[in-house]
Amino acid sequence: MSGVISLLSQLGAFGNFVASFVRASLTHPPPVERTFEEAYRIGVQSLPILLIVSVFVGTNLAVQGHNAFEQLGGQSMVGTFVALAGIREMAPIMVASMVAAKAGTEMASQIAVMRIQEQIDALEVMAINPLWFLVTPRLLGILLVLPGLTMISVASLLFAAWVVAMAQLGLNGTEFLVQCAEITRGVDLLFGAVKAFVFAIIICLVSCFFGYTSPKGPAGVGKATNSAVVVSAVVCAILNYLMSEMLYG
Amino acid sequence: MGLVIEDPVIRIEGLSKSFGSLVVFRDVNMDIARGKTTTILGPSGTGKSVLIKHIVGLLAPDEGAVWVGDVNMATAKERVKLKVRAQFGMLFQHGALFDSLTAGENVEFPMKYHRKWSAAKRREVAMEKLELVELEKFYDTPTASLSGGQRKRVGLARAIALEPEVVLFDEPNSGLDPLTSATIDDLIRRMQHQLGITFIIISHDIVQAMHISDYIGMLFDGQLLEYATVDDFLHTRHKKVREFLHRNVTLPEMDEADLIDP
Repeated sequence: MSGVISLLSQLGAFGNFVASFVRASLTHPPPVERTFEEAYRIGVQSLPILLIVSVFVGTNLAVQGHNAFEQLGGQSMVGTFVALAGIREMAPIMVASMVAAKAGTEMASQIAVMRIQEQIDALEVMAINPLWFLVTPRLLGILLVLPGLTMISVASLLFAAWVVAMAQLGLNGTEFLVQCAEITRGVDLLFGAVKAFVFAIIICLVSCFFGYTSPKGPAGVGKATNSAVVVSAVVCAILNYLMSEMLYG
Repeated sequence: MGLVIEDPVIRIEGLSKSFGSLVVFRDVNMDIARGKTTTILGPSGTGKSVLIKHIVGLLAPDEGAVWVGDVNMATAKERVKLKVRAQFGMLFQHGALFDSLTAGENVEFPMKYHRKWSAAKRREVAMEKLELVELEKFYDTPTASLSGGQRKRVGLARAIALEPEVVLFDEPNSGLDPLTSATIDDLIRRMQHQLGITFIIISHDIVQAMHISDYIGMLFDGQLLEYATVDDFLHTRHKKVREFLHRNVTLPEMDEADLIDP
């Protein structure tokens, strides 16, 4: 029972946080310069790990697709399988998880440290709205880069799967690409971008919320960072399923 | 209390505050004198920092009012409080400097958001403020490389960057060695004389309070036990205040029967 009450109380606090943030964002000019700084930082920080993970998810999709379809005599379907799974499902949620792990944790820990070192109080005393100053550029920055990162992930995943299909599995590379092109509709890429947009909002607001409301002390920073990545990843995974049902179900 | 302050810059009326079962203030009344230095003393955990947060409107009282001019910070809307806060500067206990910025950028920070000045003008004013705290050579030094005393001085330069009417100090000497503390005290006294603005200092350091204050108040057990000029404060009849002072200063002798024990 106390767990349910605690969850409801956290949800209420999150609702208040989001409402105050929206109000602050609507009553202040957008922080353009800091938005681009954040976008650059989030993009550059997340790109290397994203490329590595995307490449190896692509290789594994090709190998597992080949293993599964080989038993049915349908090895030629590997391209279709990789494109469907990769573009529609794997790339958006994988990018969200990587960005939550890399940029989300940094947002939560930075803001939590600012909270315990009274830097957020200092912003308020200097008559600078801390939600506008801390959250708005991070949200706009992540919204700018996450769809792009998702497209980069899709491209690297497909490229890696294509290379493995040809070099390791002995499939016809041209046939693989034709299958990918035939099964992929423009709207699939659009849906991927929509998912990325939603995940960007969740990761940023959840991470900033846990940082902003961090308990005192170093343990508080650790707890805030941990909660940020766990809650972001779980909420994104659930939303990924719900959005897939809505878009493709 | 007996202390009458003409034309106070801040009026605290009937302030009461509790956090759960912990009572922090019970009906605290206090006027802060304009253009003077007022120190609020008290043992650790008596809510001195909480009082500062009420003055700038970061916390709302359960009862009572905090008047800054004609604005009650207890009930004012956020945008009104933001306007009032623009008249305040504050030196936080640990400086609260932004570690990603240099000393100079920290001082420039409030100017960037409240003055439409060019970068050159901001730099010029920031340099001027750093000169006041004798740290102009550290303009381009990352704040992470500064010592505790230097961080406080940069914090002070930032607090006066917009030439506020009131500067609040939260434990300006905490964590500093005696020599650095004395330097900070001298700096506070010199700056108050130079700038003529209102300083409100939260401290548990009686020696510092005597050295730099015009008025001293003491919080204990949720109440303002004593509030007086420095000289009158040392002649207090409050037993708890005398106990608090006793370790650091020699007090005038008094009969036990004359003392007040709340």
